[in-house]
Amino acid sequence: MSEFSKDDRKAICDTFERLLKDEGHEDALRRTNETESGFDTKLWQKMAELGLTGIMIDPKHDGIGGSVEEVEQLLEVSGAFLYNGPYISTCVMAPVLLEACENETLASEYLKKIAAGESIFAIAGCGRSGDWTEESKFIAATKQGEGWALNGSAHFVVHARNADFCIAYADMGVFLVNMKDTGVGITPHRSDDPTLRLSTVTLDKAPAQKLTGVDEPEKALALATALVALAGEQVGATRRIFDMTIEYLKTRYQFGQPIGRFQALKHMAAELLIEVESASTVARHAAQALAAGAEDSALLTYLAAFTCADNFREVAADAIQLHGGIAYTMEHPSHLYWRRAQTGQWLFGSSDRFRNLYLTQMEAKL
Amino acid sequence: MSDALRHEVEQWLDDNWDSKNCCAVGDESYNQTSWLTKVVDAGFATPTWPEKWYGRGLSSKEARVIEKAFQARGAKGWGRDRFHLGAITVYKLGSDVLKAELLYELLTGPICCLLYSEPGAGSDLAGIRMRAVKEGDEFVVNGQKVWTSNAEEAEYGMLLTRTDIDAPKHKGITFFIFPMKQDGVEVRPINQITGESEFNEVFITDARVPERFIIGEYNQGWKSFQTAIASERLIMGQGITARLGAAARGKAPALLRLADKHDKLNDPVMRQEVAQALAYRQLNALNMLRAKEEMMKNGASSLASLGKLAMSRIQHGEARISAKILGPQVLIDTSEDSRNANFDAAKAYMNSIGGGTDQIQKNIIAERVLGLPKSVDVSRGIPFKDIKSG
Repeated sequence: MSEFSKDDRKAICDTFERLLKDEGHEDALRRTNETESGFDTKLWQKMAELGLTGIMIDPKHDGIGGSVEEVEQLLEVSGAFLYNGPYISTCVMAPVLLEACENETLASEYLKKIAAGESIFAIAGCGRSGDWTEESKFIAATKQGEGWALNGSAHFVVHARNADFCIAYADMGVFLVNMKDTGVGITPHRSDDPTLRLSTVTLDKAPAQKLTGVDEPEKALALATALVALAGEQVGATRRIFDMTIEYLKTRYQFGQPIGRFQALKHMAAELLIEVESASTVARHAAQALAAGAEDSALLTYLAAFTCADNFREVAADAIQLHGGIAYTMEHPSHLYWRRAQTGQWLFGSSDRFRNLYLTQMEAKL
Repeated sequence: MSDALRHEVEQWLDDNWDSKNCCAVGDESYNQTSWLTKVVDAGFATPTWPEKWYGRGLSSKEARVIEKAFQARGAKGWGRDRFHLGAITVYKLGSDVLKAELLYELLTGPICCLLYSEPGAGSDLAGIRMRAVKEGDEFVVNGQKVWTSNAEEAEYGMLLTRTDIDAPKHKGITFFIFPMKQDGVEVRPINQITGESEFNEVFITDARVPERFIIGEYNQGWKSFQTAIASERLIMGQGITARLGAAARGKAPALLRLADKHDKLNDPVMRQEVAQALAYRQLNALNMLRAKEEMMKNGASSLASLGKLAMSRIQHGEARISAKILGPQVLIDTSEDSRNANFDAAKAYMNSIGGGTDQIQKNIIAERVLGLPKSVDVSRGIPFKDIKSG
């Protein structure tokens, strides 16, 4: 359970929002998109100074001891700006996995680096299928002297090129890999979403340290936390593109009147509002349940995962239609939201998969 | 304060209400008028109203103490200041003379029926044509109403009439509290597509209503009606949240049980459909919980207006999937599952048409919640008699 009060939470979100208004606005985002790394390190440093990179890290490792509830709300803020740094891998998943590691000295060293904003983490968590499932075996680990060596390929790895370290899910456990080591190959891919940096990470006898004590339940918790974080990001983005669209309906004139007076558009807008509010509500509920370790946290996490992904997709898609021609241009931001929405459809597994898992949770009530 | 009150109401119920037989102590069965009279006289029916109007001048929080005590024993007659639309409207808008004459009778009698919609005025309610013409200190009423619940039982109806056909449509309406038990009032039940008959047509021919039964001002009925409809929406909102409490508790949803019973949970396509339907229902429940929290905190919530529209998708969707689960068996009405599925498919229209169609609801959400410009009503502002109809 989080120690943060509602006021603390609001204060930290407001601070983050001010920072992004100054340095994460659309022009800045487009500039970052044009760079090879696709990552604004200066902005990351400022986030670290505000304690944002250590949000989930215990104060004994220099973090500020927040929970997934704070993460969800912070990502609602960053989602509105389509912020694209390696936040979920570095500040959400890596801390959950490292905190679970039995070797506290090792964990502490890296958690401190994350909190200080010194190290970026990537997570090599899935193979070619893109599903983060237990069955997915894409990296093989073998003993090598005192340590381990990893062989295999992880796919759809976000921000691999910007990462200093990578946490790899292998057949024999979960491992820490230094991205600068020999045997680590990174093949960057061009993605349709310009805010997204995806790579295939190939490990060829890459040296690795085992994160002892990190197993399926810990991986599951890291994934659930990431799903709720992503849900929060999607909620923030959904609301922003929706608000922009409603504003446009009020200010764009055709036939001598604001187009928002036409019922065809009004009805689309009203229907979308249900999707916006549903996503908003369920992301918060899932975060609360997960933070509290509630009985229904898995059910709510899956519900949030496909609802927030699908509703963002639907709202962003209709936003383009409602804007009309202006949104069929690269200059207009609508397509950036729409492309990010496509990303969210697949990043940790498909909506159909989570819908199915939600039903499995429901079946327990039969 | 609330402890003393709780003690008082508990004591009063001990003395007066027989929980076992669900009637007044000493009675053999429930007698509505005599029981309600007791509750009204004790000030428990309308506790938030002043003593002069049979209440106790309590806050709504204090009133809940009384309601809870009544509910715990299954005793009737509580919360009439929240649920008796006719009494609430007369209390809010009626003159003191009207209140003195009618309020007690309304509170101790059955609920009022609503004489609003007409065959030519559904979504466009301000287009009503039922005429009320002044004759001495009475009005003579002629016309037809439709979709009236409880028309047989009701002693009074809340009646929207046209009193000036030369004025624009919103300006020539007068709102009455109308005595139902008189010559010239004919009630005919409607056979609905579900096979039920909850609603009636009401034909009114040369019936009479005293001038002093006007609610609000003559020809200003549309304004008075807005107050009444706001109370009605509040009542419906309270109903929604009350029902949610019952549905939330851990049980498997009916659609899931149906799919399981008919062995459809192994079909991946069906799983997706069922899961999404359950999700829509759960999301709406969570939204309405949030609405309730916002209402308690801020006194209002824009989310509340989404519930009805969301419910249409839920009900039509679940009915469609239920039929898919049953397959062609749904054509044969001999099994209970088939009958339920077919009934639900028809009943879903009750939500998507009744109380304002989904399309009207979307206009309301777009205009009042999202602030989009109001649609143009071409009949607004021109004399009622010149408005095209058909």
